Parts: sequence; C-alpha cells; structure tokens
Amino acid sequence: MTLTAGASRLYRKNLVLTLLCGLWVALALTLLIGQPSILSGATLTSILQFATLLALVSLGQALVVLAGGAGIDLSVGGNVSLSAIAGVMALQAGVPAVLLPVVCLLCGFLLGAVNGLLIAKLKIYPLIVTLGTFYAYSGLALSLTGGAAQSGVPAWVLPWGRGVLGDIPLPFLTLVIPAFLIAALLLSFTSWGRWIYAMGFNEHSARLVGIPVDRARILLYSLCGMLAGGAGFVSLSWLGSGRPNAGVNLELESLTAALLGGVAIFGGKGGVAGVFAAVLLLVTLKTSMLQFGINTVWQVGVVGLLLIAVLLADRLSKTRS
Amino acid sequence: MATSFTPALKFSGRELTLACVCLVAIVIFSLASPYFATLDNLTTVLRNSTELLLIGLGMTLLLAMGGVDVSVGVVMGLAAIVIGQLLNAGVSPGLTALSGPLVGAVIGVISALVVVVGRIPAIVGTLGLYGVYRTAVFALLGGQWLSGLPDSLTQLVSAPLLGLPITVWVIALAYGLVWLALRRTPYGLHLLAIGNSEDKARLSGIAVTRVRFATFIISGLLCGLAATFYVGTYRNVEMTIGSQLALEAIAAVVLGGTGIMGGHCSLLGTVLGVFLLRILQNGLLLIGVPSLWQTVVTGGLLLLVLTAEVLSGRLRIHNMNLRKNRLKGEGTA
Amino acid sequence: MLKKMISTMVASALLGATAFSAFAQDKPKVAFVPQIVGIPYFKAMQDGGNRAAKAFGVDFIYSGPVDTNPMDQLQIVQNLIAQGVNAISVSVLDASSIAPVVEQAKAKNIKLFTSDSDAPESGRAVYVAQATDEGLGDTVIDEMVKRVGDHAKIGIVSGEATASNLNAWIGFMQQRVKAKYPNVTLLKPQFAGGTSSRAAQISADMIAANPDLKGIIAVASTTCPGVAQAIETAGKIGKVVGTGYCSPDTARAYLKSGSFGFSVLWDPEKLGYLTVWAGKQLIDGKTFSAENSVPGLDQKVAYDAKTGVLLLGAPAVFTKQNVDQFHF
Repeated sequence: MTLTAGASRLYRKNLVLTLLCGLWVALALTLLIGQPSILSGATLTSILQFATLLALVSLGQALVVLAGGAGIDLSVGGNVSLSAIAGVMALQAGVPAVLLPVVCLLCGFLLGAVNGLLIAKLKIYPLIVTLGTFYAYSGLALSLTGGAAQSGVPAWVLPWGRGVLGDIPLPFLTLVIPAFLIAALLLSFTSWGRWIYAMGFNEHSARLVGIPVDRARILLYSLCGMLAGGAGFVSLSWLGSGRPNAGVNLELESLTAALLGGVAIFGGKGGVAGVFAAVLLLVTLKTSMLQFGINTVWQVGVVGLLLIAVLLADRLSKTRS
Repeated sequence: MATSFTPALKFSGRELTLACVCLVAIVIFSLASPYFATLDNLTTVLRNSTELLLIGLGMTLLLAMGGVDVSVGVVMGLAAIVIGQLLNAGVSPGLTALSGPLVGAVIGVISALVVVVGRIPAIVGTLGLYGVYRTAVFALLGGQWLSGLPDSLTQLVSAPLLGLPITVWVIALAYGLVWLALRRTPYGLHLLAIGNSEDKARLSGIAVTRVRFATFIISGLLCGLAATFYVGTYRNVEMTIGSQLALEAIAAVVLGGTGIMGGHCSLLGTVLGVFLLRILQNGLLLIGVPSLWQTVVTGGLLLLVLTAEVLSGRLRIHNMNLRKNRLKGEGTA
Repeated sequence: MLKKMISTMVASALLGATAFSAFAQDKPKVAFVPQIVGIPYFKAMQDGGNRAAKAFGVDFIYSGPVDTNPMDQLQIVQNLIAQGVNAISVSVLDASSIAPVVEQAKAKNIKLFTSDSDAPESGRAVYVAQATDEGLGDTVIDEMVKRVGDHAKIGIVSGEATASNLNAWIGFMQQRVKAKYPNVTLLKPQFAGGTSSRAAQISADMIAANPDLKGIIAVASTTCPGVAQAIETAGKIGKVVGTGYCSPDTARAYLKSGSFGFSVLWDPEKLGYLTVWAGKQLIDGKTFSAENSVPGLDQKVAYDAKTGVLLLGAPAVFTKQNVDQFHF
C-alpha cells in the first residue's frame, strides 16, 4: 500500500521523475528479457566509468539551472578540456605533481567564476555569456596545444583513474557519489538550498526577502566550474594524457541529463537524485543500444525523442490538472 | 525592460558600435595584409557569409520572439540532402532550388508542432529535435556523402544579375521582406509584443500560437534557402553538415543587438554581426593567426562587446546622475 | 502517448534482441571501430571487412562514433570488450581511445589491435597499416613537387587538430620538405573540423592570403571536397594544384575538372579485408611471418616484427588518367 501511495505522491510532485523511473523499469526489463548477459559486472563498470564525467558536469549544470534567471552553462565542456590541459601544462611548467588535482579544480573554479561574475554583476544573460566562454575555453584548449594530447600525467594517478572497487570505478566512488550526496544534503537541509529553490522559483521575491541572489549565483557558477575542473582531472587520470577535446559535446549532454532528471529549465523545481538517475539512464541506454548492435547513429535521435516525449508528457499532465 | 516596438529609422548604439568595429577591423586587416582589401578576397568573405546571413535572419526573428532554435544547422542539412538527391536524379536546377525552402518550411512545421503546440520551452524542444534531425541526416545519407554533385545548381546560384551574383539579390530580398513584415504588418508588431511579454500579448488578444508557429516556419524556410546556396556552392553534403551553424547564428544575432529575451531586434545588427565574424575569420588567417584561434576570438569578441556595452551603459547612467546632482545643487561627487 | 511509446520501445527492443540472439554463438567475432561512421572511406573498410568475414568464417562487427569524439570511441571499444568480442581493431582517434582498456582486454584474452591509425605505445597486438605514415607523407610531397616545382608555396588543410594519424602524416610531410626540398615553403596546417564548407572557407582564405600559392593538400578525407571546390570557385584551376588523401570516387569529379592534380590513397576495402584477416590470425594464435600471403589479396603483405606493423602496401596515386579504373 505504501509503495503505491509513495508512487502517486511522486507522480503528483514531479511527473518527469516518475517517467524517469518508468523508463528505468522499462529499460531494465528489456535488458533482462533481451540479453541478460549484459547485466554483468563488466558492463556496470563500463557504464559507471562513462557516467563519471557526465555526472559531475550534469550536477553543476543542474545547480545552475535550478537557481533560475534563465540559468544555463554552455561552457562546461570547454571548461573540462581547458582545466585538463591547464593541469598538465602546469606540471610541464614545474608545478609539483601532487598539486595536479588542485590545479584542475582551481582552474575550473576560476573559469566558472568568470561566468558567474559576468552573469550576476553585469547582468548579461547566461546563454550568451556561456556561449562566449564556451567558444573561448574550448578554443583555448585547442589552440594552446595545437590539438596534440599532452603527456606528463604522473603515473600514480592512473591506478586511481582506472581502478575499480568491486565493480565500481574508483573515480565514481570517490568523486561522483560524494558530490551528489553533498549537493543533495545542501539542497534539502540547508538554507543555501532553500535560497537556490527560491531564486529559481521567483527571483524578485527572493531578492525582496533578502536572499543574496547575486552572490549565490556567482558561487553556483564557480561550483559548476569546479565540478567541470574535477571532471577534467578525471579525464586526465583515466585517459592518461591531457586531451584538448576531453569535454566535447558535454554541454548539450549535461543539459539533456539535467532536464531528463526533472530539473525545470526555468529553475525552481527538481533535484539532484533525478539528475543522477538520468545520467545513468542515458549512459545505460547508449550501452544497451551498442550491445544490441543498434547503429550508433540512432543514439542521439533516441535521446532527443526521449527528451521531447518526457517533457510533452509533463506539459500535458500540467494542463490536465 | 526597454522596448522598441517599432524599429526606428535611427541606428541604435549597438549597430553603430558594430559598424565601427567592422570598419576598424577592415582597416587593420587591410594595413596588415595586402591581400585583404582585394575584390577577390572580399567576394570570398561575402560568399562565406551566405548561409549564416540567411539562418541568422531566421534566428533574429526567433530571438526577438523570445524563443531560440539550436537545430537550425541540421535543418539546413536535411534540406541539403533532398536538394542533393534531386540534383543527382537530374531534376532541373530551378525546381531543385525551390525544393530547399519547401523542405525547410515543412521541417519548420514539425519544430513548431513540438515547441508551440506541445508548449515545450524552445531551447529544450529544439535540443531534442536537434538529436532527432541529426539521426535523420545520418539515416538518409546511409553512410555515404553526396559528393561531386552536378554543377547545374552552381551555375544558377552564382549567375550574375545586374552585375552582382544572384546570392546578393536573394539575401537582400529576404531581409527586405522581413523588414517590411516587422514594420508594416500586424505579424511584426505581434512578434515583438510576444517577445516582450507573452502573457500580456495573449491578454491583448494576439494570436500567440499562430505567430509563433509562423515564425518557426519562416526560420525553417530560410534554413532551406541557405541549403540551396550551400549545395550550389560546395556541391557536397556530408553528415556533419551545419554542425557549428546554430551557435554561430546565435552569437552573430546577439552581437548585432537582438536581445536574447526578446522584444526588440535589429536586422542591420545581424548583418553586421555576421560580417564581423566572417571578416575576423578571414582576416586572422590572412595575417597568419592559426585557424585554431578563431573560436577564441569569436568568444572573446562576444564577451567584450557585451561587457563594454553594460559598462558604458553604467558609465552613462553614472554620469547622468552626476549631472542631475549638480543641477540640483547637491554638490559634486 | 508515453505508454504507447514505452511499449513500442520494449517491443522493438525485444524484436532486436531475438534477431540478435539468432546469431550463431560459436563463430569467432572480429570487430572494427572506425574513427567516425558515415564517411565513404570507412564504409569501404566495412565492405572489405564483410567480405573477409564471409571468406574466413567469422562474425564481423562494425561500430563507430558519430562524431570524432574519443570518449564515444572508447565507450564503443569498452562495450565490445564487455561483450567478449574475440578481436577488436580500432582506427584510433588518438592513443587515449584505447589506453584505458588495454589491460582489461588482455585480462579477458581479447586481441586488441589498431588499424588505419595507430597508437604505437599502447601495447596493441599489431597495427594494420595501409602504408607507412612516412610513405604517405613523402608520396604526397613528391608528387606535388613534381607538378609545382621545388620553389613553390604549398598549403595544408587538415580536419581535426586532435587526430593523431593526420598529424603524423603532416609531420612527415614537413620532414620531407626540410630534407629534400629546402626551397619549398610548406605553410602551417590549418584545421577545418569536419565540414566541407569550413574546409572550403579556409582554403579560399588561404588562396587569398597567398596569391603565389601553388598547391593545397587536403589531409582529412572530409576536407577533400572543400579544398577542390575552393580552387574551382576562385578560378584557380591550373594555377593551384589540389590534392589529398581522397578516395577515387570523391576525387573523380575534381580530377576531371582539373582542380585536383592527383590523389593519394590506398584501397580501404582491402585494408578492411586485411584487418579482419589479421584479427582471425590473432584469434587462432598464429604469428605473422615477414611476408604473408593472404587468401583473397593479390599482393603479399609485409610484416615488421620490430614495430608490429602489418603493411598493406605502397600508397597508390590516382590521376585523371587512371581514376576510372577504381570504384571506391
């Protein structure tokens, strides 16, 4: 009885999340019936490894979108690439190798802060600011390296980057899960979280009530950037070199994941648990399609259709109620 | 929010700024490279700008309406495939040229159904459609390109008319028609009103759905027109076709002064924005800057122009306040 | 509507699953992962792979990313490993496309090797090469100098700056010019990404920037149409010689019109064929001898044990005269 009661409460609170659960169930059933061999430890590892970058970046994207003000960050992909490159180039310039994660995180943080300052202080719309920084960051990563992968990643990061505990990759375990947990706790139990939702729901009222909207926005964009920097570090430790296109396509994918995860594009609604589930769904979907031998060209179409379908359903339910 | 319902005849600050930057860029490049200010080179820049000018025109309308479309490049691609296949089948270039806008308009209907009728926010809906259309491009091309297409269409699109290539006339016609629509028809007024505030527009009786629907169709038509020129010029359709165009179009239009939140737009600004982007790309290569730096320059320019405008606006207001205080006799700051 | 969509998804997935499981499970599987699907070059390799699969009794899997994204390529490789495909060949976008999974593959006794584009330090089992990178770079330069003289200015238009095989060829081009043709000016490479329109724009700008330009080399096959078109549009046929690593089918129109003076390539269909044969050899545990006769291929295939390179042969030069003999 409690299961259905809980389900109907979820349904009313956030239809997109419910649909997400439904899709998960459908996918799991399909796999169980169609090719149970997929449900192995190796596949889980593969899925989680690929989900790591997307998860970190989608978390940042979700936070930025949640806080409203037409929030979006198109520069996350460029941020990942540039932070990874900055990290390796810092090492090449003589920075001690143990500081590599710090360099990446700091670089990401600063790049995100640029976004935040332009958006909050100069009141330029996020879509345009992050479009400009997207061009700048991804272009810098390519032009500083000439397109060549940068070597110089210290050997001790590789066992962490490629290691697994049980079937769970270490970066996922040590970065993604704590990040999502912290974000979830922050959003649900602290005043910061309530401020974010308030800002997204109605910015004007939020300002009237005294919420430091601008400071919060700057911080959020910086956090988003820091998460992107972390993803850059993960790419270094996993691939073993600094790739100037490590973050390619991540901006649109992370936005898709955030939206599928129940975050409303205008902010104020949604949670990180949904984003987590959406990221895993997207990666699992891709993996399953590969395992079924479906040509890769269909992946982007299926994801696009899914996004439209889920949002249509959400919209239809609103008009009915 | 400042509104300009009727695009005034005087030039806005942004347009003047852009024109100045364009001029400065042209002067610098002409001085730095003897090959920049040649007729051949400037014709090349013009040719490179064709698709972006047309797609940017559609994007201007969409942004002015408060919407956006990130799938425009792929829409052009789908139209290009149809054009290419018609060419290969030997259809006359005139009919083939018309098929482009037709296909584009049809796809515009599909996009409109999703975004307008489905009432999904434009950025999200067109993001999903982007994926769907891309898959359609892959599926239709089937792992091949349309290569070495017959040049019957090429002759049509590059044929000179009264001294200028027909491309120039078509683009001028498109911009002229849109300008007329914005200034003289109810459609134009309604579009800007919707961009200003969709709720208020609905309350004042504007048929919001119809206007939005029409705008997506117009944008699709323009993408299809761009496809005609694309196929005519490059004679090759590959699956990555148009992949950078959507973001470039948004950048050019915003550079030109059309706000991202809608309510006002600047067609001249879009033209200047497109030219500035292409002039920069061309000029940088001419003076020896590696092509990989072009995106950095694009991004930097966008941020610079926007920042400068905000700061100068603040400076203006600050100075205004100073003057006001002085007049009131409240002492100087 | 959503329920209908989900049920259609489930139904079609079940259909696909049953079709998939109808495959005989006992034939060894050889896979090839191209850099990108949907371009004629890799389609030709796919055709060769299919032909070899029939000839040697293996299942051939062809799966690649839809854009030149090393992450997507890596995901596909990892999936194939998880599926237990016996031999996986990859045309690597760069070494990171397989570096993280080499150990994994070894642990599962899966033969991971490269084809068409190499990652030499990665521990791959073998590299099936169309021609040596050095040979490719040298041939293009030599043929170009034959046509434009050794005091000419030549430009390079490449695709992605991050593609390691393209950069390797450019590197050898630069070395060749330095060593043999010191009076030739080889311009720094410009990168057009993946679209022919961008390649055309960059080539047109290059022609404008260098009125004394005598030749342009299109390094990525996606840049071939763009470079040729730019030469034609600029009216420089005969004054600027275009060339590149372009398939005869793509280059035919341009060779006939004169915008391309020649094209250098190998037969990607044969390369695909050889790749699958090499995979089968690896699965069977056979080693390669210095010279191998491959059933179905006319020429003998050389193998260099030191570098682990299986060489298809010398690059072929296509001109207006001989292009009609080839159909790929």
